[in-house]
Amino acid sequence: MFWLQLNRVIGYWPVLLKGIGMTLALSALSLLIGVVIGFAFGILRAGPNKALSRVVGLYVDFFRGTPFLVQVFIVFFILPEIGIELSAFTAGVVALSNAAACFIGEIVAAGIQSVPTGQTEAAAASGFTRAQQMRLIVLPQAIRVVTPSLVGQFVLLIKDSSVVSAIGLLDLTRSGWMIVQSVPNGLLVFGIVGIGYFAICYPLIWLSRRMERHGQAPIL
Amino acid sequence: MIEFTNLNKWFGSLHVLKDIDLAVTKGEVVVVCGPSGSGKSTLIRCINGLEPFQKGRLVVDGFDLGSSSVRLRELRMEVGFVFQSFNLYPHKTALENVTLAPIHVRGLSKAEADDRGRALLEKVGLADRMQSYPHQLSGGQQQRVAIARSLCMQPKIMLFDEPTSALDPEMINEVLDVMVSLAREGMTMMVVTHEMGFARKVADRVIFMDRGAIVETADPESFFTNPQSERSRDFLSKVLHH
Amino acid sequence: MLGSLNTRVMLEYLPDIWQGFLSTLMLSTTGFAGALTLGIIACALSIQPVRWLRAPATVYIDAVRATPLLAQLYFLYFGLPRLGIVLPEILIGIIVLSLNSGAYVAEIIRSGILAISRGQVEAAISSGMTYLQRMRLIILPQALRPTISPLIGQAIVLVKDSSLLSLISVVELTRAGQMIAIDRFMPIEGLVATALAYLLLYYLLKLLAGIWSHQNRLPGRA
Repeated sequence: MFWLQLNRVIGYWPVLLKGIGMTLALSALSLLIGVVIGFAFGILRAGPNKALSRVVGLYVDFFRGTPFLVQVFIVFFILPEIGIELSAFTAGVVALSNAAACFIGEIVAAGIQSVPTGQTEAAAASGFTRAQQMRLIVLPQAIRVVTPSLVGQFVLLIKDSSVVSAIGLLDLTRSGWMIVQSVPNGLLVFGIVGIGYFAICYPLIWLSRRMERHGQAPIL
Repeated sequence: MIEFTNLNKWFGSLHVLKDIDLAVTKGEVVVVCGPSGSGKSTLIRCINGLEPFQKGRLVVDGFDLGSSSVRLRELRMEVGFVFQSFNLYPHKTALENVTLAPIHVRGLSKAEADDRGRALLEKVGLADRMQSYPHQLSGGQQQRVAIARSLCMQPKIMLFDEPTSALDPEMINEVLDVMVSLAREGMTMMVVTHEMGFARKVADRVIFMDRGAIVETADPESFFTNPQSERSRDFLSKVLHH
Repeated sequence: MLGSLNTRVMLEYLPDIWQGFLSTLMLSTTGFAGALTLGIIACALSIQPVRWLRAPATVYIDAVRATPLLAQLYFLYFGLPRLGIVLPEILIGIIVLSLNSGAYVAEIIRSGILAISRGQVEAAISSGMTYLQRMRLIILPQALRPTISPLIGQAIVLVKDSSLLSLISVVELTRAGQMIAIDRFMPIEGLVATALAYLLLYYLLKLLAGIWSHQNRLPGRA
């Protein structure tokens, strides 16, 4: 019985493969956008402009304080009401990269604040502009501090991408959901789905732990 | 070069600089001393705009620091600053620490900056440590890199904020030697330090500060042999006999 | 956009949102209690020197951390009937939330224990304490204090995670919001009400974490 079902699940390999591809594409694209916006958030959040920092803080809090599923629904159901029609994939990327940016922003802000003030003083005393101080002195040091947490955040992003299956996007979780309708063995089907996620996420978890143990990211 | 007129500064309700009047001319070496909390670090941090002040006037190399339109960046290109805690950039090598500002602030080519940086690191005795990172250097070596870093901008004025107080005793002299030769070359310098040997050797004037005010100004010889105020006598007896 | 909100509809459905809120609160507290229990057991196993005690804890923690909660939820939701176990959705939900957060709780407590200096343990051994005495008197009191803030952080994660139970038709906050959307074709009103309710819980827990860290600054630290 088990072998028969395993055979049937394996027969669905194109669906599983498509699901993995979608999970990877969704995560990678959102990661890229999320990192860029997240660094911008972090810089504004740790910046000298108090009003701007507070506005970013409130925005970030909204998305850190609500479930990702609710955010996906907001993007998918509310944006069309104000005239922005999104495909499920685009909606997924928007929701996922936005959530990632909010979490990455807080990590980056903490990293920037961990750089001693003597560093910016020395840079200011040499005549660097504020932008140069950030780019040449502060950010390179902050990045080394936050890299382990960032990698940990990437794992959360990949796992969160499964929630996007709720609006019908055929990712790895959704492909399991489809297969289980015709092969009624949840342990087997979602065991295989789980192995797929494990294969993607575990190397990143291992990397993040290793960097934390060594105190810092390797010197780049 | 540096002219304080009736300058006052407060941290909240704390009056940290009181009616400072002081003029430093080109090529002069001025040593500032005084007990901790006397405002001497704050005083020299005002000169390159690291600290704002509330009242009075401060003109440095023609830049009026009290005016809101002061081009702080241009001023800082002419004023070198050496910190007590070195503040080297940990992610850059010694040579990169020295050439970073000349390349990005002065706009030198990398080759030009490298030449200038190598020459300066050689001058401070670190020809063999150019590719080392700060954490691979001793405190004395780090501070010498920091001095070379400031000099590489070819400043007109050098400010030193207790450059040897974070160092182990056996490393103090290697840093002081660099500063002495700099003074003898005619650099305009203001140095906050308790190193009385250095003051005796090269200072044109010694300024004694206490509780935010300049209490005494004298040439080094008479300051050390015949201090005028009660507080400077008290201070000298503690510093010289420890 | 917010100007066009139909607040009358939101008020009309307020009792439903309130019910959902209470349900989310119940799911979260029971789930967190389960997570603490599982986490302490898994942590206790994971710091044992004996390999075959450590191994199951490591497998559990890594398996949970490397897979999404939703896949874990479906694993049991579609899988348990297969083993002849039929449970109400709400119970499956609580079990999955506990299993999931338990792994993170284990990691949090573990890092608290590992942060204690070797000298503390050696001092305790030198004064003749047994393993249990050392744990109870020296290690745990020091280890648990810095874990409170991250544990509250994990509670925030759990509250938000519980929204996924709406996907196996457990009625809680997210589901309650969806019902407004479906009954009245008013997705904005439903989602905004839901989001605000979650934010309330988020800020309450954040406030709690703030109060705790304010009152418990270790002596000698800023």
